[in-house]
Amino acid sequence: MIPLLLRIHIRRKGRRGVNLWLPLFLLWLIVLPILTALLPLILITALILWPSGKGKPILCAYLMVFRLIGNLSGLKIDVRSRDNTIYINLI
Amino acid sequence: MNEERKTILEMLAEGKINTEEAERLLSALSKETEKGSDVTEIKSGYKYLRVVVEPGPESENPERVNIRVPLKLIRAGLKLASFIPKDAQAKVNEALHEKGIDTDFSKIKPEDLEDLLAQLNDLTVDVEGKEKIRVFCE
Repeated sequence: MIPLLLRIHIRRKGRRGVNLWLPLFLLWLIVLPILTALLPLILITALILWPSGKGKPILCAYLMVFRLIGNLSGLKIDVRSRDNTIYINLI
Repeated sequence: MNEERKTILEMLAEGKINTEEAERLLSALSKETEKGSDVTEIKSGYKYLRVVVEPGPESENPERVNIRVPLKLIRAGLKLASFIPKDAQAKVNEALHEKGIDTDFSKIKPEDLEDLLAQLNDLTVDVEGKEKIRVFCE
């Protein structure tokens, strides 16, 4: 599933911390139409480069970007020490 | 008893194969079944790869790391990595080599990952009592 929210929490000793909830669904509303609009361009490029063997990787890489975005949900990085905290969670 | 096992035993009873051949076929069949069940378990059960680093009793630095990576993301990443041009892959491998990591990630295929995860049930590494690293799937 596409991640809809990104939570970033950074705390450093002696500095002001950051605690953000970013609504990723708003970002996808912009990014996904752009990626879709790029599809014809990608197809033409892949078709031109197909004889050289670079067409297929370009097409596959384009499709894999969607797959990567779709599987980002659930990624969590949490690093805590005595004075510092870095917490990133894609929900 | 499954069908393949039954067929092998019937062939042995009819004298179509000798005992050695039957044994070889049965062991090959059991290995295949074992491998298949591992992969099915991974596919159905686990969703995330977890890496947890906790300070040990002798640790001076109480740093804790807790990373959860979706397995689907790792699989997608590996597939995407296979589309990286070879000259760029060489540069990546060179950079990894400089960091002391002698692994060619372009050679790791999704099937290899399934095998690796099947073996990686719950790995715990104790680094000289200073840190305890746990790598497991959940």
